[in-house]
Amino acid sequence: MTDVRALSGEERDLLAGEYVLGTLDQGTSEQVEAAMARDPAWLASVDAWESHFAALIDVAPPEAPPPRLWTQVEAAIWPHAVPKAMRRGLTWWAWLLRGWALGATVAAIVLAVMLVRPPSVPSHNLVAVLVTDASQPAFLAQIDVRGGLQLAAATSAGGIRPTAAAGRSLQLWGLPPGTKTPRSLGVLPPNAGSFRVSAAQTQAVPDMVIMISQEPEGGSPTGLPTGPVMFYGRLVAAVK
Amino acid sequence: MPVDPALDGLLNRVAGGDRDALRALYLRQSTRLFGVAMIILRDRSAAADALQSSFVRIWQRAGQFDPNRGDASAWLGAIVRHAALDAVRRRGREIPSDDPNLGDAEVAPDALARLEASEAKARLHDCLQRLDGRNREGILLAFVHGLSHPQIAERLGEPLGTVKSWIRRGLLMLRTCMA
Repeated sequence: MTDVRALSGEERDLLAGEYVLGTLDQGTSEQVEAAMARDPAWLASVDAWESHFAALIDVAPPEAPPPRLWTQVEAAIWPHAVPKAMRRGLTWWAWLLRGWALGATVAAIVLAVMLVRPPSVPSHNLVAVLVTDASQPAFLAQIDVRGGLQLAAATSAGGIRPTAAAGRSLQLWGLPPGTKTPRSLGVLPPNAGSFRVSAAQTQAVPDMVIMISQEPEGGSPTGLPTGPVMFYGRLVAAVK
Repeated sequence: MPVDPALDGLLNRVAGGDRDALRALYLRQSTRLFGVAMIILRDRSAAADALQSSFVRIWQRAGQFDPNRGDASAWLGAIVRHAALDAVRRRGREIPSDDPNLGDAEVAPDALARLEASEAKARLHDCLQRLDGRNREGILLAFVHGLSHPQIAERLGEPLGTVKSWIRRGLLMLRTCMA
């Protein structure tokens, strides 16, 4: 183990680089962290390396964490304050809906309403933009003149389309306002760019939540979402 | 990296003890950050532990985030990377470096291609491109996948000492190139 306090500026900077790279052993790594806490020169070196490499962090493919992880985070930070329902994990999707970053979702919906109003679309039409938990639009759901739901995948500039992990399926759900149990609207075919749900099955109403969860291949075995909600939106009127 | 100006504001509120802000931060960032932990730990349960301890740390240290020193998503990413690196060190990095999930030699070039896709990151990409191929691969395996010096040496079929000095030389070249 190196004694980090006895290093020249150049050696310090290299060691800070190796710390950021992650190749130091645990003892040296902890020494670097201690040095950062008391010495601004160390902090500046580490910051510079973190910023050089920052772009590489996001080559990691995003992956949804286990659905109950937030409850565990809450329990770790506020051990006595987690509501019983959350501890049971029964209504994990309910807090997800409540806690959604509304501003971004509203912005995405406004954008979609601006984008999807060809003159032939009647004013009673409803649309929902389904966004990721980073508020990235991923799907557009539109109720057509016959009351059926048309789902279209958004394709990013890089040609990337939202998909399930290998061996998993995406399942579409509807949650009418005032209800607590989502209803399945079908399992999306793999790599499908679009998907239609009949009017009878959709039973669309304004403010209905439309969401897509990741499920075992072929769909949820229980009839309720069992995997993480990947995309979420709310049906609102498309203004003419 | 998706630039999300709202993150600065959320971190500021978290620093002030706002629980809703922490939850909003979790909703926005957990999928991205879980991916960062997974690419190093390659185990959902270990990655979940790392993400949980990261959010505890974010709650405790949000006040130390300084937007003048770097961007919020990089700050969050660094916390998760270091939590995942601590976890691999604690378990002795027993993941074999020939784990098929590492995708053989495709890993590093793939990482580079994904970096190239983002124009804003072109500089790091160019600087990495200037490195000798194996040197670059060593740096990518370490940073992206959290491999240790001995694992990188085994993977590249080179002596440990050679790999260590390659990586140091690569870091120096990167620093000059990025300056």
